[in-house]
Amino acid sequence: MDHKTGEALTGATVTLTQNGVNRAVAVNLNGSYSFKNVRTGAYQIHVNYIGYSPSQIYTGTITGADEIKIINVDLSDASQQMVEVQVKGEGNKESDRSVRGIEKNAPMVLNILSANTIQLLPDVTVANALQRVSGVTIQRSASGEGRYAIIRGMDQRYNSTLVNGIKIPSPDPQYRFVPMDIFPSEMLERLEVIKALTPSMEGDAIGGVMNLVMKSAPNHFVLSANVSGGFSTLFSKSRPFVDFTGSPNSKSPAAINGNSYQATYADFNNKALTSDKNMSTPFSSTAGLTIGDRFLNNKLGVIVSASYQNIYRGSDSKQLTPNAQPSAIPLPNSPQFSDAYDRTYSTQTQRVGIHNKIDYVINDKNKLSLYNLYIHQSEFESRYTADTLGLGLNSTGLSKQITLSNRSTLTQQNIYNSTLHGDHILGNEWRFNWDGVYSVSTRHMPDRTEFSYDANKTLNNSGAVTAEVDNNTALTHHWENNRDRDISGYANLIYTPKIAGKDVEFSTGGLYRHKIRDADYITYSLSGGKSTLFNNNFNDIPFAFNPVTDGIGSNNTDLQNNYHVTENDNSEYFQVKFDLFPKLQVLGGVRVENTDMSYATQSPETVTERSGTIKYTDVLPSVHLKYELTNNQTIRASYFAAISRPGFGEMVPYKISGEYYDQVGNPYLKHITADNYDLRYEFYPGGADQLLVGTFYKKIYNPIEYFVVRDGGPSSQVIKPQNDPGNATNYGFEALATKFFGIIGFSVNYTYTHSRITTNKLLYSNDATLGLQQTNVNETRPLQGQADHVGNASVLFKSAKLGLDMQLAFVYTGERLAQVSPYYNLDFYQHAYNQLDFSFEKTIVKRLSFYGKINNITNAASKIYLKFPHGSLDAKQQEFIGKQDIAAQTLVQSDYYKTLFLGGFRYKF
Amino acid sequence: MKKYIIPVISFLLAASISGCQKWKGEHTDIYTYTPPAASPVSDKAPLSCSTSGSTVISVKGTMLSGKTYTVEAGCDLVINATDTLLMQPGVTLNMGLGSSLIALGTLVSNGSKDAPNWITVAGVTKNDAPGGLTAAADPAYAGKWKGIIGGPTCNLLVLRWTHVEFGGLTEGKATSTIAGSGTGNQYSILFANYKGNFIMEDSWLYGGVDDPIRISAGKIAIFRNTFEKNGVSGGDCLNAKGGTVGTMAYNMFMGTATNGQKASNKGQATGAPQTNIVMYNNTFVSGGYRQVQSGRGGCINFEEGAAGAYFNNVAINCRFGYRVVGSPIADVAHLTYGNNYQWADSLSVANQFYPTGYITQPQVTDIPSITTSAKYLPSTYTLGSIYDGSDVVQKNNPMFLNFPLPTTGHPLYQYSAIGSFNFRLLANSPLVGKGNTSIQPLITVPIDKIYGLSEATAPGTDLGAYQLNGSGNKH
Repeated sequence: MDHKTGEALTGATVTLTQNGVNRAVAVNLNGSYSFKNVRTGAYQIHVNYIGYSPSQIYTGTITGADEIKIINVDLSDASQQMVEVQVKGEGNKESDRSVRGIEKNAPMVLNILSANTIQLLPDVTVANALQRVSGVTIQRSASGEGRYAIIRGMDQRYNSTLVNGIKIPSPDPQYRFVPMDIFPSEMLERLEVIKALTPSMEGDAIGGVMNLVMKSAPNHFVLSANVSGGFSTLFSKSRPFVDFTGSPNSKSPAAINGNSYQATYADFNNKALTSDKNMSTPFSSTAGLTIGDRFLNNKLGVIVSASYQNIYRGSDSKQLTPNAQPSAIPLPNSPQFSDAYDRTYSTQTQRVGIHNKIDYVINDKNKLSLYNLYIHQSEFESRYTADTLGLGLNSTGLSKQITLSNRSTLTQQNIYNSTLHGDHILGNEWRFNWDGVYSVSTRHMPDRTEFSYDANKTLNNSGAVTAEVDNNTALTHHWENNRDRDISGYANLIYTPKIAGKDVEFSTGGLYRHKIRDADYITYSLSGGKSTLFNNNFNDIPFAFNPVTDGIGSNNTDLQNNYHVTENDNSEYFQVKFDLFPKLQVLGGVRVENTDMSYATQSPETVTERSGTIKYTDVLPSVHLKYELTNNQTIRASYFAAISRPGFGEMVPYKISGEYYDQVGNPYLKHITADNYDLRYEFYPGGADQLLVGTFYKKIYNPIEYFVVRDGGPSSQVIKPQNDPGNATNYGFEALATKFFGIIGFSVNYTYTHSRITTNKLLYSNDATLGLQQTNVNETRPLQGQADHVGNASVLFKSAKLGLDMQLAFVYTGERLAQVSPYYNLDFYQHAYNQLDFSFEKTIVKRLSFYGKINNITNAASKIYLKFPHGSLDAKQQEFIGKQDIAAQTLVQSDYYKTLFLGGFRYKF
Repeated sequence: MKKYIIPVISFLLAASISGCQKWKGEHTDIYTYTPPAASPVSDKAPLSCSTSGSTVISVKGTMLSGKTYTVEAGCDLVINATDTLLMQPGVTLNMGLGSSLIALGTLVSNGSKDAPNWITVAGVTKNDAPGGLTAAADPAYAGKWKGIIGGPTCNLLVLRWTHVEFGGLTEGKATSTIAGSGTGNQYSILFANYKGNFIMEDSWLYGGVDDPIRISAGKIAIFRNTFEKNGVSGGDCLNAKGGTVGTMAYNMFMGTATNGQKASNKGQATGAPQTNIVMYNNTFVSGGYRQVQSGRGGCINFEEGAAGAYFNNVAINCRFGYRVVGSPIADVAHLTYGNNYQWADSLSVANQFYPTGYITQPQVTDIPSITTSAKYLPSTYTLGSIYDGSDVVQKNNPMFLNFPLPTTGHPLYQYSAIGSFNFRLLANSPLVGKGNTSIQPLITVPIDKIYGLSEATAPGTDLGAYQLNGSGNKH
């Protein structure tokens, strides 16, 4: 048992010594252990568990063959943990049992995955691991890799990411949220999803906070290493992985030679496309190493952990591309498809993560720690597109046969964070802690190269091809960079006097953050002259700028996308925690957040909105009540106010070309505010067992939604983020249960979410007198990304005796709104998605184990539908929409990822 | 020690809390550009922006007969929303390289038959001989300056007896923001206000890069103009999008990259009317050859929800015939057509009189007759299907004053400018007297000698832009 929490320490080693002979067993899931066939006579028992001080040695004597001795052992936490300064607690243990303790003792609503849980999960990134947390769904990238977390129906913009409680800047080109697939999951000590904010926490998380608590220095020498390899069944000789080498031009001609330089075709290198080569079964690999120890009389603790992943994934995608505008005939807002694309994605993701924590205990009242994190991700994405059908629409004849489009994208993302943290006990009742933080996040997309070739084949009467005509040969080279730098300071002062005989904790503090973001963006579009047919050889095609002045950097039409942002945020809080009644804990207070952001773009002087300053102040009260019904049952109720700041890319009047519409920024965006209410019942029957039942309600003011607006000319329409005048509501219900029966455990969670927002949409219809008309109508819909029903179920098998852990994990994400359309009733919905994963770990010999992870066993497809009956499309469209399976809907996209296998060895000292 | 630390820290934290500017506040300050106030235009010195720090020159007032005005390279000549610029007959406006003319208010170029106006680039030599220059070497397609934009607040843009030449350079950021248009536009003329009026009569448009005239929306009257060398490798010469209503008549098109006249309801704005365009008595020669994309059209095109009519038109050796698009479908319930003539030098042209893959309904009034032979058209003909046009190659010679048919000596795409050709009809032309005069023009603009349409010529009895009685196109 844990000395403090009383939790069972499953896996702890119990050693029985008799006559100099040692026998050892592991503690079961429910905390029990037993030795059978023990000889009579004197014995000694002691218990060891990683992270805990060895137990005292219990001695005794067995006198008879049938005697049963029961020896309960308490273990003390070994680290010289000083005080729980963070409200979230600072337990440094990696087991399920210890996180149960944190969940139970935390003053607010949160869910935690322990390192042990994560290790056994079938997932290698934090993003994929997040989907196992109650109420969390993930949004996937094109290759099926989870990328962003949606917490209780609130999409990524409403959530924030912390590392060890410290906010990190995002490498995202537009938004503040951090792509969660960049973090290798094995670096974590635990993953917390905090769903209710206390005043001491930053207030910009309406949905929730993902706090990545990284491994901290142990109390004795620790060495663990793992290595694994695997493959995806997607790839084969007939469906190879397309590998490419990044372009040697890491900088654009304008970045090298200045903005007035007139680039020509000779300035570009097509290596990103010409270096394509096929690999039939690329071998994925991962490796990890953690070393930690304590020195100088346990005063200095050091841990270094490194992780490397090189994963090959991909997807096969079929996609119908809708025209920007639907047709009013035959039905209002009848979708029109211009192309039916077959796309294959090949994605190689290389991740390197290194982190290091050094803590130094100056004396029993003062402790310093230095934390460094470096994460690098390089993603090589090759996209091959073929449109072999040709839809015979306005721009295409029936004879159209070929559209090829190949794109190679290398995206490099880095996050670096360095935090110096100090804890000081200033007296019996006073404590002080502080953090000095420097963080940099960068994202580079050097020379994304895309080639497209569109040709017609002319047919004769009998349908034979008589000629091929080049419609369009285009080559684009694109560079995109952004960098965020944060310098922050945090300080907290905690005063814990006894008032009227009760412990009361006052805390106050604040933070200051100076943030600088720079972004640049340039596209060079070359045309192939239309006279040369493409025969798999770029060198034959006379690419050029037309007109030649389009090669000049300052003629780049995206100057507004080159910007500089400075943001100075400061916030202060005051909170108090006390027991109003013996069993009722109250935590309440208020936080003030000040935001001061200014931006400047490179747009010329004639451009309105080229620069601006935005300042705002928010006062965020919160109160959290925790009532202990019994020792192991708790009821929580909380209210908190929170905000969500618009992304930089939304505020700056940037313009980027979207898939269907161009998108522009809006400096007049207001930030989002929300009132949040939570109620939760918790039951911890013991061991890792758990039952949580909760409900929540959120009222969201000034929600940011994307609207289609006119951009100058009446027919030029763009998507622009705007504050919806109507408020959004989001409420739901959450349940989580974990129960172990000896070596088999079951864990289930389910979340029901209901959100509604009403926005203005376009309706294109045929009016009897006015003819075709475009009108505005209101449509009520869920928030983007929200699924009504989300659930996880897993079966766990944990046998310390066999040295075998296994987990079968199932994730269900109900139908959710994938993309909002500017047109009424043409939103894109992702169909309910099920994924089944399996993982196991088997100890081979002491300290060495074999493990395996199998992802997406059933080859689940991600499918996107329009809620328009496909039978009502016009006759020409019917010929091209492909296989359909739901009468009332139109399937517009399906992505298959196939199964991913990974297997390897783990060594722990 | 600690008895100092605690008060000091407490004080600092208290100070920072009380120091926050104001509770629950919000303040934004976003840069706004206002064009400078205009001064009356003068011809004394070039119109220059180089000292102003921006590209804008605000102008208003009157450009006087017989005078030449020069715009400095790279400048945007802007007529502010409440201002008017009137160009009297006989004005030459020389646009600098990379410059533009943006009407946010009113622009009237009031040239006359005897004293036309010129909005052009000085010192460019034209070569209009068939095959005289390749498209890549021809200054007509070079986009010397950006073009004329009637922005979202432009209520009236009139071009009368005015030559507009050598426009079409990519707009770029500064110009497009002032004009409220797209940065990548390469239009010689853009009009984008569905409440505004765009009138072009008896004028000439020479050269261009993409769509030479893009009507994003507007009330239009485009009468009796001549269009040559329009669009380098694509672009519809008169390209009307959602929210455009009016008439296109008696226009002469020679060597357009794609279509001469196109109507679509794409991008109809909320509040704007459905695109409805009546087209009659237009002549199209050698259209569609610089558009290498197949099936893009070569004379008239109705698509994507557009309503209207087309009658009495003449298409000579156009790569594709009159085209009605089936998906996204034109508003065929409100689209009428007939009395349209076509000529083909070759079988490949005749095979596309009714373009393959589209839904143009052959009309009994069409010339050549759709009952010419068993092959043209077969009884089994369905809309858009492949047929054999061999029986209508070089049939019904239109008997132009000076354009011998079939052509000789040059491939069809090289006929891109009128030069010494003359498309007036000889008295014995089979085009004479075949016109449908019962159709009505759709007049949505004010009728006015200066600030409107001076003459709405009714449909003519002869097919094409030139009438034997001298009415119609006066060039």
